[in-house]
Amino acid sequence: MEGLMERLAVMSDTLIDEQVIKDCQQGDREAFRLLFEAYKDRVFSIAVYSFQGDQTAAGDVTQQIFLKLMTSIGQFRGESQFTTWLHRLVVNTCIDEQRRRKRYLGFGETVVFPTTGERKPPERRYERKELADCVKAAISELKPKFRMAVLLKYVEGLSYEEIAEVLGCSKGTVASRLNRGHKELARRLAHLRDQVVLGE
Amino acid sequence: MFTKHVSKDLSAYCHGELSPQDSRAIAEHLICCQQCRAEFEEIKLGVKLAERLPEMKAPGSLWKDLEARLDAQVGTDESSARRVASERSIRPLARIWQPRVLAIAATLILASGLGVIWFYVQEARPSWEVARLNGSPRIGSAIMNDRSRLAIGQWLETDNVSRAQIQVGSIGQVEIDPNSRVKLVQTGPTEHRLELARGRMSAHIWAPPRLFFVDTPSAVAADLGCAYTLEVDDEGGCLLRVTSGWVALQLKDRESMVPAGAACETRRGIGPGTPYFEDASDSFRQALSKLDFEPHDTEWSKIPALNLVLMQARPRDTLTLWHLLARLEGADRVLVYERLAALSPPPPKVTRDGVLQLDDEMLTAWKAALESTWSNDSGLRKGWIKIWTGALGKVKGLEGKK
Repeated sequence: MEGLMERLAVMSDTLIDEQVIKDCQQGDREAFRLLFEAYKDRVFSIAVYSFQGDQTAAGDVTQQIFLKLMTSIGQFRGESQFTTWLHRLVVNTCIDEQRRRKRYLGFGETVVFPTTGERKPPERRYERKELADCVKAAISELKPKFRMAVLLKYVEGLSYEEIAEVLGCSKGTVASRLNRGHKELARRLAHLRDQVVLGE
Repeated sequence: MFTKHVSKDLSAYCHGELSPQDSRAIAEHLICCQQCRAEFEEIKLGVKLAERLPEMKAPGSLWKDLEARLDAQVGTDESSARRVASERSIRPLARIWQPRVLAIAATLILASGLGVIWFYVQEARPSWEVARLNGSPRIGSAIMNDRSRLAIGQWLETDNVSRAQIQVGSIGQVEIDPNSRVKLVQTGPTEHRLELARGRMSAHIWAPPRLFFVDTPSAVAADLGCAYTLEVDDEGGCLLRVTSGWVALQLKDRESMVPAGAACETRRGIGPGTPYFEDASDSFRQALSKLDFEPHDTEWSKIPALNLVLMQARPRDTLTLWHLLARLEGADRVLVYERLAALSPPPPKVTRDGVLQLDDEMLTAWKAALESTWSNDSGLRKGWIKIWTGALGKVKGLEGKK
C-alpha cells in the first residue's frame, strides 16, 4: 500500500512539472485540469478520512481545496516544493472546515464508516474488505492531529521531514504523533492482529 | 545501547527514519527490554494496519462541479477573474472535446499507464544491494556487475563457481553459495523475506525478533540476531545449522527452535524435524531422522529408533527430547517424559499429567528451566534466548506461511 502511494506520488510529480504550474499561474484551465487529475484522489482520500467517511463533505472540501489552489497559485513562488505547498493547503482547509462544521453543525458529527467494534462473523471472502473498512473507521476516529500525521505518511507517502514542513512542527513531534496514532490503531484493532499478520 | 527506553522512537525505527547507528542501538535495546519490545509489537501492528489504508477514488463528477464553480466565480467576481484566468483560459466546457485537448488527454492516459507499469517493474520496487563475490551470478536473466540490486520478485542465481553477498536492508548480510537460487519476496519496516528454492545461504542478522524470514520448500526459517546456514536440496528438504543465536523453523503448527550449535532438517510436506546438537553421535541423528521422516507402518518399527535416542541422550539433548514430547503420542510420549525427567527433573508445579497432556504453561516452564543446558551464551545472548523461547508456539509471522 505504502509503495503504491509512493509510486503515485512520484508519477504525479513527474507529470506535474514547472511548466504546468506556470501555466496554472497564467490561468490555463487545461493545465489546471492536469493538476486536478494528478492529485484529486489523494486530496479526496485525506478529506474523506478527515470527515469520518462523509463522502459528500469530502467532495465539497476537495472542491474548496482546488478552488483555493486555482485562485492562490499565483502566490506560489517556488520557495518550497509545490507538493509541500499543496499539502499545507489541504491540511489547513480540512482543519478550517472541521472548525466551521463544529461551530455550526454542533453535535451532528456522524461516523459513516462502520465502527471498529462492529466485527461481523468472519467469512473469508469478506475479510479483506472488512479489514479495510475497520482500518478506515479507526483512522477516522483518531484525534485530528494524530490522524493528519498518519494520512500524510500513508496516503501521501511523505517522509517525517516533509510532514514536519507541512504541519509546521518538528520531526520529533511528527514521530510522536505517528507513535500515538499507531498505538491507537493497534489498540482499537487488536482483534484483527491475526488477520493482519497471517493475511500477508 | 540505549539505557533509556526507546518507545518514542519506535515508529521512526519502523519507517527507517533513524540513522544506522541509532537503528542498531534501538535493536540492541529491544533485545534486552521486554517493555519496549511489547511496545514495538504494538507499533508494528499499527504500522501494518495503517499500510492497509485504501486510497479513495474521487467521484467522477468532481471536475464538472469544480469547473462550474470556477466559471461561476469567474463570472461574478471581476477582480478574481483577473487573477484567476486570462481570457485564453476561460473557455467553455465543450473545448475539452476539441482534438488538441483529446490528444493531450490520450497522451496523459498512455503516459500514466506506461509510467505505472514501468514503476511497478523497475525502480519503484524496493530492492537490496548485492555484491558479486565470485564468478558470474545472475539477477533475472542478466549477469550482474560487481554491484547490483535485487528487487522484490527478482531471482538471484549462482552457477557452480559463483557466489554473491546480499545486504539485507540495514539489519545484516546473506551470502549465497554456488548452485543456489534465491528470491527477494518482501522487504519493509516490519518484515524482510527471502525465498531459498535451492542451494545454500549463510545469514548474519542483527535485528529485533521476527523481522527476517527465509521461505524454503519445506519450512519457513525465522531468526533473531543470529548466524546460520540453510541448505535446500533438490527434493526441497533443507538442513539448518545455527552458529550463533537462535532460529525457528516452522511449517503450519509444527515448529522447531534451534539454538547455536544445533541443527535441524526439514522435509517437503512434513516440515521441520526435531532439532539436535551437532556433536550428537551419528547413530543418534540417524535414529532421530527415522522418527521424524520415515513412515511407520506399525508402532513396532518406531521402537528401536526411539529406544536408541532415549538411551544415548545426554543432558543437553534434552533439547531433542523436549521437542519430541509433542511429536509422539501415548506410550512413546511417556517414555520420553521419563527420560527427560531423569536427565533434568521438571520444575515445581510442572506435573507429569500436565506434561503428558501437553499443557502449554507447563511445557514452557520446563523449557525455561532446561535452556541453560542448551546454550552456553550469557548476557546479551540470553536476551535473545528469552525472546525466542517466549515466542515458541506463537510466532505469528510464521504461521500458515507455507
